[in-house]
Formats: sequence, C-alpha cells, structure tokens
Amino acid sequence: MQVTFKVYRKDPEKDGKLSRSNYTLEVAEDATVLDSLLKIRDEIDSTLAFRGCCGRGYCGECMMRVNGSARLACTAKVPDYTKKGPEISLDPLRNVPVIKDLVFDWDAFMWNKIKAVKPWLEPEGSPVNGESLTSDAAMQDLRKVMSCFYCGMCDEGCTVLPVDFDFLGPAALTKAYRFAFDPRNKGSREQVKIVEKPKGIWDCVHCYEADEHCPRGIEPTKRIVALRDRAFNSGITHEAVARHHASFAASVKESGWLDEGRLAVESEGLTNVKGLMKLLPTAAKALVRGKAPIPYMHSKRPDADKIKKIFEKAEQEEK
Amino acid sequence: MQEFDVLVIGGGASGLRAAIAAKHAGASVGLISKVHPLRTNSAIAQGGLNAPLGKDDSPDSFAADTFLAGDELCNRDVVKEFTQEASKEVIWLERMGVPFNRDKEGRLDLRGFGSNSRNRTCYADDRTGYIVLQVLHEQFQREQIPSFEEWFVTSLAVEGGTCLGAIALGLRNGKLDSFSARSIILASGGFTRFYLPSTASLGTTGDGQSLAYEAGARLMDMEMIQFHPLVFPKKQGLLITEAALNAGAMIVNQKGESITDLKGMPRHKICLSIHHAMQNGGGSVSLDLRPIGKEKLRGYFPQTQELLRTVAGLDITKDLVPIRPLAHRPIGGIETNAAGETSVPGLFAVGECACNGLNGAGRLAGNALTEAVVFGRRAGETAAKHAAAGSKKSFPTAKVADEEKQLARIISAESSKDSLGKIHSELGHLMNEKVGLVRSGTGLQEALGQIQSLKDRYSKLRVKNPSRIYNYELTSYLELGSMLTLAEVVALAAQARAESRGAHQRADFPERDDTNWKSHTLVSFVGGSGQLQKPVAAG
Repeated sequence: MQVTFKVYRKDPEKDGKLSRSNYTLEVAEDATVLDSLLKIRDEIDSTLAFRGCCGRGYCGECMMRVNGSARLACTAKVPDYTKKGPEISLDPLRNVPVIKDLVFDWDAFMWNKIKAVKPWLEPEGSPVNGESLTSDAAMQDLRKVMSCFYCGMCDEGCTVLPVDFDFLGPAALTKAYRFAFDPRNKGSREQVKIVEKPKGIWDCVHCYEADEHCPRGIEPTKRIVALRDRAFNSGITHEAVARHHASFAASVKESGWLDEGRLAVESEGLTNVKGLMKLLPTAAKALVRGKAPIPYMHSKRPDADKIKKIFEKAEQEEK
Repeated sequence: MQEFDVLVIGGGASGLRAAIAAKHAGASVGLISKVHPLRTNSAIAQGGLNAPLGKDDSPDSFAADTFLAGDELCNRDVVKEFTQEASKEVIWLERMGVPFNRDKEGRLDLRGFGSNSRNRTCYADDRTGYIVLQVLHEQFQREQIPSFEEWFVTSLAVEGGTCLGAIALGLRNGKLDSFSARSIILASGGFTRFYLPSTASLGTTGDGQSLAYEAGARLMDMEMIQFHPLVFPKKQGLLITEAALNAGAMIVNQKGESITDLKGMPRHKICLSIHHAMQNGGGSVSLDLRPIGKEKLRGYFPQTQELLRTVAGLDITKDLVPIRPLAHRPIGGIETNAAGETSVPGLFAVGECACNGLNGAGRLAGNALTEAVVFGRRAGETAAKHAAAGSKKSFPTAKVADEEKQLARIISAESSKDSLGKIHSELGHLMNEKVGLVRSGTGLQEALGQIQSLKDRYSKLRVKNPSRIYNYELTSYLELGSMLTLAEVVALAAQARAESRGAHQRADFPERDDTNWKSHTLVSFVGGSGQLQKPVAAG
C-alpha cells in the first residue's frame, strides 16, 4: 500500500527551524511505522534522524507521536493509522527539547530526572548471609513497578510538565516509589526526602492522566499518592504542606466545606509575615473581581454537623 | 581526551557488572554504550538465571547439565568456576534489589527451565533480563561511573600489539573523541542481526567482535549460533520463554497434534524437531499456551501476553501462536580465558561478544544472564588489577586525525542504486538459508561466495549524509561492515567443522565426530581476510 509520511524536521546544524518532509512510499500490509522509517532512511532520505532499538515493544526508545498520539513506532502498525486516508504524521513527543528531527532529548525529558531521585538501593544485610527473606507480595508489587520500560508515555500525558518542565514527573516519581517501598532498602527515607522537595510529589495535581497513558498499568498516580502518605506518616513533610493538610481537614470538619481564605492563610503560617504578604496581591485581585465577600465570612453548610461526626468517627477509628 | 584505568564498551548486563566490579576494585572506570543501557539487548532475556540454590542441587549437578547442553565442547575449568560462583552472584543481585519471585518461605523461587535437570532458575516473572538490567544500572549509577551514552566506538587504539583505548563518535555532539585506558573491556553483545529475521535488536551487530578481530584477537567457535525454538517470526522476532514449556505449553503441528515431548530437551534438539515437523508436514508449527491456564499466564507470563497482543494481535489464552526457530544468540565470540583476557594485551571481552568455552556447542537455558554477571565481575576485577599493575602508555593521539580522515573517505554525495538496506536484507536471508539451523558443505561454499560479493558491493557504497549529528546512516554503515566481516567468519568456521554438534548441524555430516572435532575452531584476521587457525582441543 502507498502511504505518505509527513515527518517533523529540525536540523541543528542549519538554522534549526522547524519544517516537515513528506515521503511517499510503498509499504507492506503488516509494516510498522518503524519499518517505514527505516525504509525512508535507506531509500529516500538518509538524513532523517529517529531512534529505534528492540523493534518489538520491549524498550521505549522509538517513542514518538503518530498522528498526534504518543506511540512506539515499532508496534504501531501502519494500517491502524491510515483509516482516514493514506497519510501519517510523525512528530516528537510534546513538550520535550528536540535535538534533530524525531530525536528528542531523553536526558532532559526523563533520564536526568530519574537520576535525581538517587535511583539505587542501599542494601540492608550482606550477600554472605544468603538472600533476604521476604514475601512474594512485596516483590510482586516491585515487579509491577519495574515492568516500566521507560517509554515516557506517563510523562507525555502529565498535565503538570507542560506548565513546569522541572517537575520530576510520574516516571521518576514511580522510580522513587520502587526504592521507598523496597523492604530491603536501608536508605528508603532518602528517596522520600528527595521527592518531597519542591518539583516532587506535592506538585502532582492528581489528574490521573499518567495512569491513563501507562501501557503497563503501573498506575503512577497511585504510587505518587503512596509516596505522599509515606512522607506524611514518617514526618518527612514540609511544614507548609503539613499546615495545608491540617487546615484543609479542620476547615471541612468545622464548616462542612472548604474555607479557601483560611486555607491560604494557615498554609503560609500565621506567623509567616513574608509568606502572608505574598498572598496580598491575590487577595486584592479576588476582592476586585468579587470573589471574596466583604466582610469575609465563611458560613457553615447545611448538615455540617453530620460531616463533623464522620470526621470524629474516622479519628476514633484511626486511634 | 577521556582517561580511565578501565574502559568498558557496552552497557548491557555484562558491561554494567564489569564496570561496577572494576570500580569496587579501586579503578577509575568509564563506560561507552551506543544506546542507553536500559535499551540494550539484555532486556529481551526473559526466563531467568540459573543458580544451584535448591536443596537437592549442587554446582556439580549444574555443571553436568551445562556440559550436556554444550555437547562435549565446554571448557571444564570454566564450567567449574562458573557453577561454583553462580549462587553468590545471583544472591548479590537479590541483595542489590532484584525482586525475584519467592516461594512460600520467602526464599528465591526456583523454576524448571529448558534442559536443567533441577529447578534452579531464579526469575522475575517473564521479564528477568529487563529487571536484572535495571538493577545493574541502578548500582552502576550508585557508583557514579561516567557513562557515555549514544557514543559509537569506531576503532580500538592498538599500538605495538597492546590495546591502549578506543576512539568513539558522540552521536549527539557529532565529535570524535579518544578514550585512553590501561584496560579495555568489550561487552558489546552479539551479532545475530545478520540473520533476518532473528531475535536480535537493531543494534546487535557484532561491532565489538569485529573491532577485536581486526585488532588481532582470535574469534572462537563462531559457527555455533544458538537458535531459539519459540519465536513468533517477524523481522525482530518475538521470543517466548522456554519456561512456558516447563509450565505446560505444547508445540503442535498444523493438525494441532503435539510434537513429541520436548520438555527438558536442549534447545538445539527442540529447534531441530520443529524444523523437521515444518519440512515433513510442509506446514506451520504453533505454540499452544492454553494448557498453562489463564491465571498462571497472567501471573507468570505478563510480558508474553502483552507483547503477543500488541505485536501479533494474539490472545494467548485463546489463540495458538505460530512459531519457528530463529537465530538467537552467538555462542562463539572473541576468544578469552575465564578472566576475560583476550590474546591482545590490555583487551578484555565478556558476555555475548566473548567466548571462554563455557557454553561449548550449546548454551543451557538460563545460563546467559548468570554468565553475564559471573564473568562480568571477573572481567571487571581482572581488568582493574591489570590497570593497577601496568605502566601507563600514552594514547596515540594521531589516530584521532586518521579516524577523521577515514570517516571523511566514506562520505560522498554520489548516488547509488545499491543501499545498506538492500545489502543487509540479502545478507540476512542468505545467512538464514545457507548458514542457518542446518547447513551443508555446498551451501556454505555458496554462502562464502555470496558474502564476498556483498562485501564487494559494500566497499563501493558511500554514506550520503554528511552530518555528524545523529547520523544513523553512518552508524548503520559501520554496523553493516561488522556484520559482513563476521558473516564470513561464521561461514568459514561452519565450513571447517565437518560434523554435527550442538548448535552446529551439518546435513552432510550428521554425526558428532569426537575423534577429529572435540575442539574449538579459531579464525584470525590475516592480510585483510579471515584465516582458519589450527583447532584447539576442548579442555
């Protein structure tokens, strides 16, 4: 079948401007996008740069956007993308620095972020004593997490990264989970401390896009939430985060719903003059736009007492 | 120029293990890999790694199975060392974080695998290679070893017969740089990409073997190519771990009849049975995974289930999977001793690119990963010791300029009807047809002639893309050169071995000949081409 591939181009040795090349070629019915790209490079344009490694879905190296969606070129079958017509567009992932054509910067996108979480285990105990005895359930959870083949789909789907590229992102945070929750890791607090800092677990907005995107069902959001719980429960939490949580809960407990004004003030800390000053412009804007009533009053919602009882019951159970 | 005590070339399991060991031994270490370590071919290993940890097991029993699979061609001392060290290395991996499957007592679960006579294969579902690779890479990062990823080694610097380092091209910056070292460890993987199809990744092109060979090292037992019996055939074949057979999967012919009981047979025998069934019935052969049961398939073979669904569109809980034996892993390679030393001073080799006689004429399922870590560590330690003892020789810096000129010579805008892809494709089919699972003297003779004509065509070919940045035409050109060089060596060695033994099956010499051939073939690079050396008796 004849297909035209419209491929994103960028040449760092020329003006670095973006363009698109169109290649029309005959491909086999069972050809993948990677097969087609290899054919283009061999027969039409040897300057075209793209990566490929295992060629069958074991690794994530050939990740790119096929007709706009992030896919592995080696498992994306051409006929699946030509249903609307014999044209396929190929682009690098979104929001990543592109080096040349479809070759983007994996280091900046993912590897450096993974390195930042100190991705190694400090073993507890010595190999001379044989293997560590541990339940298969704990290992099964780690095997699931380690089935991650670093395809980058979760980071591609993440809604924080387009706004803040320095966010560690779901892939690196999931890697941190692997160490924080390995019972054999002597240094498991270390990884929690790292991801607890700004650009880490607290910057995740719980949109669950990472879970939707992950082809292995690793559920990165679930891992991030587990890291948050671990951080909170082991007292490795920023004071501001702790105050935020406490204020959030207290507000809902007392009034049945969230008092946003109180949350902002208490999160910064009542004695934190500098932090409170930072809130003033936002507060002023809210006033101008009629988002904050004067005088500022937060009334209880109907049936707030019932909500309070739920809180008290939960607190009892926790004790 | 980069300078290290020990330079490791290759970021797969063997290379990472060697780098960690050399660093532990006190050496300064650098590692070059043409792809990121987590994208290397070690990732495709599935079934597990052997260690005689069971109550009823012993290094001796493990050695006996390794010998049997090697069809009387293994080096005894190497096997002895290997089987004694295996448990220690596997336990080390566990302590470093491999989440191996456990038994009820929380110990490493040992499963039956291939022709192992005991349950001795430690595993992490059906992703053992990938998970072991990740843990090795984690520990490699813990050691803060400088890692040159996406650097392509274009030549070894050899002067006065001693290897003094390497010259490599940075794919990202487009620059050639020299890497000076007192010890250089090649851990660059296999070369079965010269079969099309095969189970190899795109970069499994024998670069290291070719560099060592041209630098004066000898290649040993190159005719021994292990075929994997259970491969869903596509260009990059999708292999299904043999552990599936031990778990109850059946190999069936076109009529759905089981092909004898193949469980526990060495790989080459299973391959031959499938091959004969395909020829005799003239039809296809399939793997029936359904007897394993849905739950076990999901629990123990999640990757197999996923990849066959995405790549082949098959549901292994319902569908039969068409299979055929495909070239998997070379058993031969750069001749070394158990410590990884080659015949070139300063140059070491380990893992799939090396041949120390462990595997003889056939590799026992589950030995590849254990081999990578046992001998990776050995090579790393020996290389560190060698570096500490040796005097520093200065790197021949003029070689970088020579290399620049050499690369400039192969770049030309001249258009040609021929292409790298065409030559590779013809080579791939030729190797499968005439240097494949079953060979014959006449076929090998024809193959040698055809390889020569492909080499002639290759020598006329030029790289059209003048860029140095991510110029994959240039790296593919160099890779194809390595494959052609090694294809000739393999055919030459296969032609010489006039018998059938293990992975090497000759239609014209169907029997094993212990009188004349209980020995290793050796090929050297002399005057621009391969020359067979006198075979050396197996130890």
